[in-house]
Amino acid sequence: MIEVRAIDVRAIGAIARADFLERVRRYSFLLTMMFAIFLGYAAATGRIMIQLGGHRGVYTSAWVGALVALVTTCWVSLVGFYIVKGAIDRDRQTGVGQVLAATPLSRPTYTLGKFVSNFAVLASMVLVLAIAAVVMQIFLREDPRFDLFALLSPFVIVALPAMLLTAALAVLFETLPVLRGGVGNVVWFFVWAFLGVAFSAVTGIEWLDPLGNMTMANSMISGAYAHIPDYKGGFAFTIADKPVQVVQSFRWEGVPWTASQILMRLAWCGVAIVLVLLAAAVFDRFDSGRFFGRSRRNAGQAAGVGGAFANGATLANGAAASVASAPIDISARQAAARIAGPRLTALAVGERSSAFARLFVAELKLAVKGLHWWWYAVAAGLLIAQATAPIAAARQQLLGTSWVWLILVWSGMGARETRFGTRALLFSSARILPRQLLASWLAGFVLAVLFGSAAGLRIFATQGAGALLPWVAGAALLPSMALALGVFSGTSKPFEAVLTAMWYIGPMNRVSGIDYTGSSNGAAAMHYAVEYIAIAAALLVATAALRARQISSN
Amino acid sequence: MQLTIDALTKRYSGGVQALSNVSITIGPGVLGLLGPNGAGKSTLMRILATITQPTSGKVLWNNNDVSRNPDALRDVLGYLPQDFGVYPNLSALEFLEYLAAVKGIAAGAARRRIAELLELVNLTDVAKRPLGGFSGGMRQRVGIAQALLNDPQLLIVDEPTAGLDPEERVRFRNLLSELSGERIVILSTHIVSDVEAVATNIAILAHGRLLAHGSPESILDGVSGQVWELVVPSGDLPILRQRFPISSTAHRSDGVHVRIVSPAPPIMPGARVARPLEPSLEDAYLAVLAERRNEAGPTVVPRAAGVVA
Repeated sequence: MIEVRAIDVRAIGAIARADFLERVRRYSFLLTMMFAIFLGYAAATGRIMIQLGGHRGVYTSAWVGALVALVTTCWVSLVGFYIVKGAIDRDRQTGVGQVLAATPLSRPTYTLGKFVSNFAVLASMVLVLAIAAVVMQIFLREDPRFDLFALLSPFVIVALPAMLLTAALAVLFETLPVLRGGVGNVVWFFVWAFLGVAFSAVTGIEWLDPLGNMTMANSMISGAYAHIPDYKGGFAFTIADKPVQVVQSFRWEGVPWTASQILMRLAWCGVAIVLVLLAAAVFDRFDSGRFFGRSRRNAGQAAGVGGAFANGATLANGAAASVASAPIDISARQAAARIAGPRLTALAVGERSSAFARLFVAELKLAVKGLHWWWYAVAAGLLIAQATAPIAAARQQLLGTSWVWLILVWSGMGARETRFGTRALLFSSARILPRQLLASWLAGFVLAVLFGSAAGLRIFATQGAGALLPWVAGAALLPSMALALGVFSGTSKPFEAVLTAMWYIGPMNRVSGIDYTGSSNGAAAMHYAVEYIAIAAALLVATAALRARQISSN
Repeated sequence: MQLTIDALTKRYSGGVQALSNVSITIGPGVLGLLGPNGAGKSTLMRILATITQPTSGKVLWNNNDVSRNPDALRDVLGYLPQDFGVYPNLSALEFLEYLAAVKGIAAGAARRRIAELLELVNLTDVAKRPLGGFSGGMRQRVGIAQALLNDPQLLIVDEPTAGLDPEERVRFRNLLSELSGERIVILSTHIVSDVEAVATNIAILAHGRLLAHGSPESILDGVSGQVWELVVPSGDLPILRQRFPISSTAHRSDGVHVRIVSPAPPIMPGARVARPLEPSLEDAYLAVLAERRNEAGPTVVPRAAGVVA
């Protein structure tokens, strides 16, 4: 049951403020702002544009506002989710959550606080892009008139409610155990792609448009019919790869916002609040046993068994306890030292080796440990499908999906040491850099080979060994990317987001260059394969350099 | 076997001076590193463990500069950081196997060593259970086991008894004593009794500076004749606290028995004459810190006359 009455506005403000300050003081916030600036730059320089059948209107204030607001709703909602998701997980990892759980803080207050903080981060990015829009309008001067309302209203009416929804969904995903980790990062891409972008466009239902882009698109399309003689429909918000014709008579003045349209946007703000309260209802309040009873039982059982140091401990108590409380007494210290525990056999000089093979096996074990039986069942099913489906599907969609199925296995590479706090243990070991990094990459590569083996064998059987190069290149590229992004970011999210997007665009939609299976690359498949291998090698070198820096200044 | 710390200084970005010109030479035995929170102990431990670079100064292992060849030290280093994590899905056995491979220990030796260590830290029965279900004390014991995996010549343990219950603490201190014979053990803690029990040498660090270094006996000699017991009414305790470092108090039927560190006998109107006591390491530690505060700023301990007006 939701404890609505227990909402404390002051506490919401305090949680949001603390969380926001914690984020903005991190290096990653700077990267977030740089991403926003990059988007603004891409829009301002015409690299991202709105096209209507190969045409565009004059860059009026309304057009510029709509363009940059579309950039905001599409890209900031997609990437911003990955940026803001983690506010609750951070409290879980740092132990702050347990401190908060022991206070009278209610669950809605907590989730609303995190929601406000998420929104503040996203709103900062919107602000940067709004400033970019103003700068763009001042410097482009395609239209000498400067209409501040037309320029900024899309940000307020369209972008900010979309950011509220994104912020709320990030909180909801974090409170649902199944969506809390990597699965949620993968699922978000599809939620965003289908519900946020595709669904309203396909169905034409204007109210089912959480990101609010359709209202602006429809208004522009109406203007295009009136001003572009040969316009036959179509609206594309796209990366500019071909020149477009500027129609000087087409001066779009913006959406004449009606009360019902404004109410629709407000309704989505309300949906965001409902989602946050729903998140509060399912939030475990940092009680892992609420959803995962098994782990709690394990903890109890384990604690009961491993009670203390071994042998001699009981015998030691009397003598050594007196050492603890008494002023220094050399004879007591010697007495304590005499109490024998189990003997350790010294290691001989020859008992050291590079141990690379065992390190590789250990990295492999580390990567797959904790996976459920159903994960293996699906992986085996995909492998069987690779062996039995028509070769075209086997080497593209099925191979692509088999490899994306490894996403949660790969995404821990390079990030695991930071996430689980084992950096100091590893980085104080001799010759860690080439061995552990290579062992980790090799484990990832072997998994790619293993889970893509049926498709690989069929390519070999039907087209010969030479045709295997794209397959090998894909198997090498993906773990290299995982390792590089993991070491660079210290989290698994960037790789999870990037590979999901690559899978959808590449193997599933057959976009050459992005298809890591190499099947969509046609005649250029070998060229792309060589490029992939070069990129994989370059990523490994860059990762090693970064890791060397981390080791020397951990 | 010798570890030389030569004029070590560490300044973090933002201007925080964690260490200032620290120099010590350490031979086999247990060096107890004492200091209040924020003294720079963990920074020193991390520099010695080769995972943080000093701003200036050198660390020499058997006269070889560690910054030039850190692996020479890492080969013989066992390190238990103050904060460390484990992989929750691995068992204690698998985690130790992983770290044994990371440390480059041959397969047979690793198996033997892990079995002995698991027995030593009493985790044999739960060795195959996921670490995610371990209590804090059990994880700390896994940390201790991993620090000993490569039979280190230099063992650095930073707040090792945090999370251990009293019985485990005593056992661990005994273990350090046993290990120290042919190796260097550096034990960093702010628990004086842990150092008192095992250290063959003591260094006291505060505000990044080395305030004292020597054997327990020499540290104690420094405070000889400066520890007193005064019995006062409980109402006088606050004023006494303002004037003297107090190492302990005990409420008795005749008043509060206060253990005071002061160069001269403390006098309190209405109280009995102060009785001299045998100094403990905790007294010596407080005296060193008080002296440092006295030199640095407002007077806390009246060195010339320990008299309360």
